[in-house]
Amino acid sequence: MQQAIPYKDLLPAATTAANSGITKLVAENPVVVFARSGCCMCHVIKLLLQGHGVNPTIFDINEQNEAATIDEFSKIIDNPEEIADRPPPPFPTVFVGGNLLGGLDEVMAAHISGELVPLLRKAGALWL
Amino acid sequence: MNFASTQFVPSRRMGICEPLPQIGMWSDYKENNYLDTSTPAILEVDSRFDNQSEDTSHGIVEPSNKYDQEVSKTNDKQLRRLAQNREAARKCRLRKKAYVQQLENSKLRLMQLEQELERARQQGLYVGGGLDTGQLGYSRTTNPGIATFEMAYGHWVEEQNKKTADLRNALCSDITDLELSSFVDDGMNHYFDLFLMKETAAKADVFYLMSGMWETSAEHFLSWIGGFRPSELLKVLEPHLGPLTEKQSLELSNLKQSCQQAEDALSQGLERLHQILSETVADGLLGEGNYLPQINAALEKLKAMVRFVGQADHLRKETLLQISRNLNNRQAAQGLLALGEYFQRLRVLSSFWTSRPRESS
Repeated sequence: MQQAIPYKDLLPAATTAANSGITKLVAENPVVVFARSGCCMCHVIKLLLQGHGVNPTIFDINEQNEAATIDEFSKIIDNPEEIADRPPPPFPTVFVGGNLLGGLDEVMAAHISGELVPLLRKAGALWL
Repeated sequence: MNFASTQFVPSRRMGICEPLPQIGMWSDYKENNYLDTSTPAILEVDSRFDNQSEDTSHGIVEPSNKYDQEVSKTNDKQLRRLAQNREAARKCRLRKKAYVQQLENSKLRLMQLEQELERARQQGLYVGGGLDTGQLGYSRTTNPGIATFEMAYGHWVEEQNKKTADLRNALCSDITDLELSSFVDDGMNHYFDLFLMKETAAKADVFYLMSGMWETSAEHFLSWIGGFRPSELLKVLEPHLGPLTEKQSLELSNLKQSCQQAEDALSQGLERLHQILSETVADGLLGEGNYLPQINAALEKLKAMVRFVGQADHLRKETLLQISRNLNNRQAAQGLLALGEYFQRLRVLSSFWTSRPRESS
């Protein structure tokens, strides 16, 4: 289980959208979860993913950085409304293979329908 | 040997020493058989005073004897005591009988009340207060969101019973596949309606949903996070879907496993919430000053409960959707019928349980 990295360590001071830390992180790691510290839903996602043999990269977001994080999200994903429309808080948020998968709802739905595993494999998170 | 002389025989019976005229040693009387039939009574009385019958050194029964007078007075006292004791015991038994009778009547009355309550709930009428409203901290009468839900749920159950009956008739009749598919969609949507209702109710009072007060007792006994457990449901339905292809069997098996994994993840997440909530509330116990910060922090944590119930219902919905994707219309219809009947039976079971005759204790 990788250490949760505090948000303040992620973003360099002055960045453009393309160079933003989050984009980089999402691109570099096959499975990324952004969650509020101590959130139990994040724990659920983690357990589900670990059950598939995946070790997700988890980033702890605290209250001050929430707005900024959401802002960053909207720069990377094609459809910013996807996040904005979700009930607050829009956490946890999961990226797989550089693309937004969604929150716990979407992860559960993909898990039940059997779509999650191929997605993880494609992103290189699974080797089996 | 005969001792004619007067002897002072310490009488333990009386605690005094007194001359016993005309009384010889005990052994003489035994030998001479001076004891007549009335002596046993006196001896009995005597034995209460003195356990050693060898000490009884006289056999004379005449009440004129001072000792004997004492003895019969004591005898009377004894008899009176015994009689009073008997009377008291009898009265005690009668009191106990009356008390038990009263208890039995109260139990019957309670059963009647419970049945009325159940009937009223099923009809969707709002009934004030469950049997343990006190633990809720507020009466349901003051929460309009819950009152609304109760009414709506009562109607939902009625609708559900109707739909189940209609589906049964449809499956027995000569019905086109298209018509059957619309029955299936209708049936599924009815369950999804319930999940939406529950979502609103959870925002009004999530603990009401979690406590199962809206469900019948048997349903609640089998429930998991405010409703049925999806993997259990699959096990119930499987034998009633009709013959399955190999692919379908495999899909069903995979679905069962996925459900199990998702349920475990949610259960563990909920346990984690328990832990966090407990720690939050317990933070700074025995400290001075007010504990409002801890209460406020705990309030925030409790909000997560609403999300858990939501996720559980979401899992139920996704599971139902996924089964229907893998089945043809007839199989899906049979599955829905089996589901409807299963819950009906659970409700009937609960009703029978509530009104069963109680064994007398």
